[in-house]
Amino acid sequence: MNNLAPTFRPVPAEDLAWLGTGPIPAAPYYDPAWYELEREAVFRRSWLQLGHVSELPEPGSFIRREVEVLKASVLLVRGRDGVIRAFHNVCTHRGTQLVEEESGRAGNFSCPYHRWSFATDGRLLSAPDFESFGLAKEDCALPAIALEIIGGLIFINFAPSISLREEMGRFADWLEKFPCAQATHFSEYVYEINANWKLTYDNFQENYHLRFIHPRTGGAAAGEDNPFGYPVKYGFNGPHRTQTIWTNPNVKPTPLQAISFGKGAQFAMADGLAGPHSRDYLALFPNFFVIGTPAQSFSHTIWPLGPERSRGVIRLYWKGVDDCASRRYAREYALASARDIHAEDRNVIEAGQRGLSSGALKHIHFQTQESLCRHLFNNVNERVQAYKAQLAGGVA
Amino acid sequence: MSGLLPEGFEALEPFAGRWAVAGTATRAAGRGASSAEERAAFYAAAKDLLVPALTYLDAKPLTELSATENRLMDMMLSLAHVALAVEGLGDDEPRHAAMRQHMRITRSPAGA
Repeated sequence: MNNLAPTFRPVPAEDLAWLGTGPIPAAPYYDPAWYELEREAVFRRSWLQLGHVSELPEPGSFIRREVEVLKASVLLVRGRDGVIRAFHNVCTHRGTQLVEEESGRAGNFSCPYHRWSFATDGRLLSAPDFESFGLAKEDCALPAIALEIIGGLIFINFAPSISLREEMGRFADWLEKFPCAQATHFSEYVYEINANWKLTYDNFQENYHLRFIHPRTGGAAAGEDNPFGYPVKYGFNGPHRTQTIWTNPNVKPTPLQAISFGKGAQFAMADGLAGPHSRDYLALFPNFFVIGTPAQSFSHTIWPLGPERSRGVIRLYWKGVDDCASRRYAREYALASARDIHAEDRNVIEAGQRGLSSGALKHIHFQTQESLCRHLFNNVNERVQAYKAQLAGGVA
Repeated sequence: MSGLLPEGFEALEPFAGRWAVAGTATRAAGRGASSAEERAAFYAAAKDLLVPALTYLDAKPLTELSATENRLMDMMLSLAHVALAVEGLGDDEPRHAAMRQHMRITRSPAGA
């Protein structure tokens, strides 16, 4: 009788009652006017995860990223001094987009229109007939965007009021211990979806749906005494949140699943990727989360493309190159198995969007074990209401 | 025996044309475009050779694999995709393949 696994007990409702228990308005999940408010109130003023340091390995390495929700093109560059910076991808002459390539390595950036040339640290180096402008070069540098790196992840903020590290508090220390902090490579898959970014994101921060949407691929997430695969605990820090994933003690892997995940786990252990947050999910406001599982650590960023359209970017992080066949195989299997599960969510999220966009519902509902969804809405709503108040007061 | 694959893995040669495919996205697409019979036959022939094949290939750095060894490597990488269909999804695979098409693989250490 001593070998019985401890009985799972879901986080009780009273522990999460501070988030509220009432219905949530439906319009913010489809209304174009609300979306316009979110663009400014949430996305222009929040830290946005845009890349990983491994994408910028050398001085002069650059990547261009489009942030559609803000109609912004962003240039991330590692300067000659080794420092990674973010700039608006616009020539300061007349606004022409400076870089067309998605990524590469450059000694400087030259505008295709009139050949204004900028250094990798954003300084204007030269411009034909510059004397005719009556300007100082110092006043013509590329517009910089605030940037912070935590856990190897690159975040930018178009209008920061607080540093990300300060805003994240203890979660910043956590992130430094996630596998992405040591990663040198990653796999990536991308999808587009006809759904609001919050509706899409919410799917990935509740486990209530797992047994219905992932009956064959998500078996390990649910068990006899935890049929919904609810988390062990939740945590909150400002607009950010976390959950600790429950471990099913009775998982029965399929034959090749056992071999494949077994190899992945061996490499993860040998590489020192198993840390204190191996079962933790960390959700950073507004649109990013990352899971610390050593052998299959992945992040998921959901970018708004419109009130009813989004793009998901999923990355699995790896430490070191594929140095042998087993490592390459384990990574291929990890990618394919994660993609199998994510593929199952898209249709049902779109079905939810169709229902909401019909206007049939005035409210939607979150139960106790969907509290992370409620926490996201509360934080979005708080920012939108504050922004509306600013607009009303003429101080936006 | 045609010498397509290293010695000891001849049993997989009939499957090389279908499954010795370079690139993670191409392998994933190959799984999606295959029939249940093709997947079942490849899985049955390859599953017990996965560990021997990886053990054999692990003896060399990946960059030093010969053409026949690379072919075997690619087949084992295809097996990773096929196994998910055969062991996990079963008869739900055709419906699942349609959903997976939306998940575009854009980057992989093995080459997207």
